Amino acid sequence: MQDKKLHLKNIIKRFGGRKVVDIKDLTLGTHGIEGLIGPNGAGKTTLINLISHKLKMDTGQILYYAKGNEIDISKKSFDQIARLGMVRTNQIIQDFQSLTIRDSLLLSLATAKYERFYAIFSEKRLRKSAEEEIQKYLDYFHFENPDGHALSAGEKKLLDIIRCLMLKPKFLLMDEPTSGLPQDQTDMVIALMRRKTVEEGMSILIVEHNLDLIWGACENVYFMAEGEILIQGPPDEVRKNKTVVKKYMGEGDA
Amino acid sequence: MTFVMFLKSTLTIGLLESAPLMLAAVGFTLIFCLNGFINIAFAENLTIGAYLAVTFNSMLGWNFYASIIPASVLAGVISVITYLVVFRPAMRRGMGKSEMIILSVGVSFVLRFGINLIYGSNLFYFNVGKTYYLTLFGMGITSTQLICLGLALIIALGLYLFMYKTNYGQIMRALSDNEELATIAGINPIKVSVLVWFLSGFAGGLAGIFTGVFTWVHSGIGWNMILTILLVAIIGRVGNVRGALIAGAGVGIITTAVTLVTKPAYGAVVLLIIFIAILKFRKVQV
Amino acid sequence: MEQLLSGYFIYMLSILLLFVALATILHMQFGITGIVSFGIAGIWGFGMYSCAIIMIKLNTPFVLAVIMATVLTGIISLGIGRILLNLDDQSVLVGTLAFSVIIEDMIVSESWLTKGVMGYGPVKFPFDFGIYTKLAYFLIILLFTIAVMYYAGRLHRSPYGRLLLSIQDNEPLARSLGKPTFRQKLIFFTFTSALVGFFGAISVPVYNFVFPKYIGPDITFTLWIALLLGARKRVFGGLVGIVATVGLFDIILETVVPIPSQYAGMLYNSKYFLYGLVLVLVLMFRPSGILGDKNRSINIKNISKFEKKEG
Repeated sequence: MQDKKLHLKNIIKRFGGRKVVDIKDLTLGTHGIEGLIGPNGAGKTTLINLISHKLKMDTGQILYYAKGNEIDISKKSFDQIARLGMVRTNQIIQDFQSLTIRDSLLLSLATAKYERFYAIFSEKRLRKSAEEEIQKYLDYFHFENPDGHALSAGEKKLLDIIRCLMLKPKFLLMDEPTSGLPQDQTDMVIALMRRKTVEEGMSILIVEHNLDLIWGACENVYFMAEGEILIQGPPDEVRKNKTVVKKYMGEGDA
Repeated sequence: MTFVMFLKSTLTIGLLESAPLMLAAVGFTLIFCLNGFINIAFAENLTIGAYLAVTFNSMLGWNFYASIIPASVLAGVISVITYLVVFRPAMRRGMGKSEMIILSVGVSFVLRFGINLIYGSNLFYFNVGKTYYLTLFGMGITSTQLICLGLALIIALGLYLFMYKTNYGQIMRALSDNEELATIAGINPIKVSVLVWFLSGFAGGLAGIFTGVFTWVHSGIGWNMILTILLVAIIGRVGNVRGALIAGAGVGIITTAVTLVTKPAYGAVVLLIIFIAILKFRKVQV
Repeated sequence: MEQLLSGYFIYMLSILLLFVALATILHMQFGITGIVSFGIAGIWGFGMYSCAIIMIKLNTPFVLAVIMATVLTGIISLGIGRILLNLDDQSVLVGTLAFSVIIEDMIVSESWLTKGVMGYGPVKFPFDFGIYTKLAYFLIILLFTIAVMYYAGRLHRSPYGRLLLSIQDNEPLARSLGKPTFRQKLIFFTFTSALVGFFGAISVPVYNFVFPKYIGPDITFTLWIALLLGARKRVFGGLVGIVATVGLFDIILETVVPIPSQYAGMLYNSKYFLYGLVLVLVLMFRPSGILGDKNRSINIKNISKFEKKEG
């Protein structure tokens, strides 16, 4: 069990008159790894976008807990939220086209003190302080040419995840993080996630269609349909629940 | 100057100055609506139109009013040529919007300085023949000005109706949203685009003629106006022909008012302030 | 030799260097950070005129006037950046262009302060070494230009440069990593624009009398064409581009190869005609410029070289 990370109250989002997300009261982050599942169009990605502030909600309040403080992040900007420790990976592959893999990682690790317009001699220092950690990730995932660009979709996906992890977030949102990855890499990612939740007290919320992954990795699962969270609980319970079976298991990759 | 005089001057001069501006704004907006980028080379439609008309009129001795149409048609043709030779290939290469603007600056230079190389740096004057003197709102204007104002309004209105009331307008807007889809729906993108670019050049050429007839024709005619045209188009909500018309009239009147009271530079400042204010306001709304 | 030292030649070379500095700063704003600013001439003009006016009207010594002009330019740029930099690229382009036009307009119209088209001055060099004065000042400009290019080079190899590149490549992604991109863009824009103002200020003794025509949008376009031609993403892109445009036309063709005056008009028009043509051709067929793009990836066999240099 962990300290709660997010408290969502009365979140409503409409697209053209239709309610896409309607969450009355939801507390996230009380477990290490949590899963969010639901049929297509349930509003899962929209919810993630609302939480990370890529989309503005119509009404509602999101409270974030860090260092014993309760922070209302409804008004915070996209980058402020990331700095507060809530980070998300991207469903659609995103990358920096001119940066190498190592560049990406150094970018993630660089703190504000390295990123000043007059600090033009600080590269060596940054590389030194980052060397160990970067090498650990490079070794773990077997990147062939870290000083080249991420070429395949799989490499870019992995890079996206590692960039986020290097920020040492308190709460990590992952939108279909392993789609497109081969099974062995998926397993490595999940193993890494588990370790991080234990070592750093991080909470993760994974949105996924791959139900095997959800049942296997998550300690707590939320089932979402038509914009609402209908069921929540440990994987064994959720998977047997009649509503879930009716609305979803027929479609999913169970 | 009394306040009433001020109002009257502002309205008349403002409207007269607006006529070409409205036309130009509409022509410019057509491209932005269809292709989504700011075409600085549009300025040269005005210049080319004016130069061609003055060639027909003052050099070849044609009647002024008879020179207007051929000149504008040719301006439209040249506009189509720039589309087919430069802009369409560039867009198909996936060039970004800002780069397209810079590209259009290059095309503008080629056209404008090309004109200078051909025509030299003389100033040219139109020969309008017999003019009558009339009054409008108690201000003196010439028959030429009145006719030009009338023509400009008619054509601007015509373009507006074309855009909104006919099939072509709808087709154009469908095309601007999604070329692939429109093609599947049976619309020929090239044909429609060519038509739009032609109309844009035509409107611009007319605007240039109507500007040049009241002062003189020089190669900076279009270039000097492009910033104003641009701001008008953006204020009038780019892509909206109706907005361009209204904004054109409004801007013409406002800048005249400001200029009458202060100096031309401040007209531009006021315009810029309005422009930025509107951009920010819209951003907040979105 | 005397001809070279005291004449037009050193004057043109000094201007050329200043343009190289400006084009390099443009490279940093556009080629690294992705800010599409068409206001560089206005900012340079602002620095130029502020320095000249402060020196003459307020009777201030040169160095102090340069500093004040630089700071003032920074403040104005901060204002422009604050308003424009969170808008989309096209709006930034148009907004900065409009600002540049307004600066030129106001300098012409507020002639009670700037003497408008009559030119403002005279401003002499801040020291006197006889016939070596112009050369000495040229060397000072050279020093600062090299400094700017060195800074740009270091940027490419520093965390800050990496941040700027990330903003250019994918600003939303950079923000999702917690980077305060608007703030950083604003700071960098202000800093580099202040540099532009600085170069505007130190250009004043070279020109001796400053005129509005030195600061119009023409200058902005020339700089952009030069940078795009040279290589927008390379430190030396500005240098190559300016030499190929201003160097070719304004120095070689007009100074070394004398053109009879009746062709002067034609030369002017041909120059800009060619600039336009080159711009179109470069953007269509070689958008990365003569020097091409910068490749950040290193081959395995170069790694040991890299480590030796840094270690």
